[in-house]
Amino acid sequence: MTGAAPGPTGATARRGPEPAAVRLRRLLILLPWLMERGEVPVAAAAARFGVTREQLIRDVELAAMCGLPPYVDEMLDLFVDQDVIYAGVPRLFTRPLRLTAREAFSLLAAGRAALELPGADVGGPLARALDKVSVALGSDPVLKVDVPRPRFLDTIQGAVRDHRRLVITYFTASRGERAERTVDPVAVVTERGNWYLQAFDHGAEEARWFRVDRIEALTVTDEPATADLAPADRAPDWLLRFADATVVRLRVPTSAGWVAERYPVLSVEPDGADHLRLELPVVSVRWLERLLLRLGAEATVVSPAEWRDVGRQAARRVLDAYG
Amino acid sequence: MTDPLERLTNLVALLLETRTPLTLDRIAHELRGQYPASDPARRTAFERDKRQLRDEGVPLEQTVLGGDQAGATGYWIDRSRYALPELGLTVEEARALRLAVAAVHLGADWGGDALLKIDASGDLDADAASVGSAAVADLPALAELPTLFQANTDRAIVTFGYRGRTRRLEAYGILARAGFWYVIGLDRDAGEVRTYRVDRIEGAVEVGPARAYEIPEGFDPAASFPADAMMVGEGEVVSASVLVRSRQVPSVVEALGDAAVVERREGGDIVVTVPYANRWAFRSWLLGLVDDAEVLEPPDLREEVVAWLEALAPSG
Repeated sequence: MTGAAPGPTGATARRGPEPAAVRLRRLLILLPWLMERGEVPVAAAAARFGVTREQLIRDVELAAMCGLPPYVDEMLDLFVDQDVIYAGVPRLFTRPLRLTAREAFSLLAAGRAALELPGADVGGPLARALDKVSVALGSDPVLKVDVPRPRFLDTIQGAVRDHRRLVITYFTASRGERAERTVDPVAVVTERGNWYLQAFDHGAEEARWFRVDRIEALTVTDEPATADLAPADRAPDWLLRFADATVVRLRVPTSAGWVAERYPVLSVEPDGADHLRLELPVVSVRWLERLLLRLGAEATVVSPAEWRDVGRQAARRVLDAYG
Repeated sequence: MTDPLERLTNLVALLLETRTPLTLDRIAHELRGQYPASDPARRTAFERDKRQLRDEGVPLEQTVLGGDQAGATGYWIDRSRYALPELGLTVEEARALRLAVAAVHLGADWGGDALLKIDASGDLDADAASVGSAAVADLPALAELPTLFQANTDRAIVTFGYRGRTRRLEAYGILARAGFWYVIGLDRDAGEVRTYRVDRIEGAVEVGPARAYEIPEGFDPAASFPADAMMVGEGEVVSASVLVRSRQVPSVVEALGDAAVVERREGGDIVVTVPYANRWAFRSWLLGLVDDAEVLEPPDLREEVVAWLEALAPSG
């Protein structure tokens, strides 16, 4: 949501006429806000609510025709003139509608998660704000977001904040390789239980994502980070990361449905009563080996043909180690 | 045709201001031509409005009337529950909430809607720039979560399908961990505290009346089951002894801790002790290391792993 105002349920992105429910949701927040202010430039209100000027004026002018029977004097006191909205005597909708379950949940979940992020002040204003929101909900909801804290997370977060260049020893699990890299960190993001570092890799001369828990050693240098890279506001896009991946088709028992929950599969289809067909992007044979070893004998690679034997060969190699 | 928003707005105003419950006939009369003149069109239109208002969180109440309107249903909006209470947030607290909502993505912008309500004086865009350097979290948004959350807040029993069976749960808490949401609580039929993955709930979640149970004092959802998947299981805890080859040593030690290392061999290989209660999770971890790990003890576990691998690669 960086850049754009948080409009109710992405009203700006929607094509075609807005549903009445979405407009009502907005109106029940907009009306008390206008009444508290008295006069507001149309542009300011439109920006805050994430709608166009036309949408905003249409809804305000409509609200001006609403009120109580017999619809003569007990009307909402609103009018738009020369790009300014005027709200007269406050009546009827003077307080916003209470938080819905969706809103209360999101606020608490975001707040509780933010308290677990590096640099959070546990006794600070966020914690106090969440307490006030909980009180307003009537009784205390029990909601917790458990965020992992890999060893170097706080140091990396500090380097992002201070724009400092890092030297990291990184283990690439998909290739089983370890290497030292000089990187300019720009963001740390957590998703699916892992932390990712977005950085410019000076060796590769391009932007890269690193799993923070796979950083084995780290030095914060005295050099400033100079890379001109926009910080991501979300975790690396799975499909983008797999842009040059091979699509592998697997036949697995239904008990292996967890694969579809854990990995970004492209499709899942039932195959008979007790099997599934999965299509998933695979960036390295080593990653596929690990998956097939875990899936066991009941899973088979359907295509590509040259990878049909990957699981058997990996199992053979591990057995050789067992002697 | 009149704009449907006009009728909805007038309906909310009327039902907020009324001192007595109003029947549909009365509502249609007061709203003067905004509803169709007769049934069943009128009833259909009203039912749709009613559903929309309730979906939006408007506390639209109804009751069966007595007296001269005996049998008819009367409607009103509970004013005390309609309005958002004054939260009394300081400027600093409101800003902290804005930053939190900006830094934590839930898949849908419900949090943004909430901010518009509770933070009337804040400039929502002003802080967007400072989020850039903060850590950011992405959590999956699931349709069941607000319902479970509300039920937990109200202490209302939830009923839902899970692995083909109906469960009735006193939801003690909700937990996000490692990319999944869990609801933890007393399963009324099993008579014990159980954990359910929210994305595996089948069908709709039904919510019972409020204040049906109490949550044990100090209940911590994060402590209700181990963060380590290998320790989540019904079985007794077994300690495996595993040889880890040098290449994987740093990441294994990072994950298990120095205390797990029982032997350091020449050439950099180590032996670690790995406790587990869940055989499946243990095997998954072990095989993820491919030929860089080998189970040494106990013997039956070693045999089981060999058998699993031999099924994959039959000899001869």
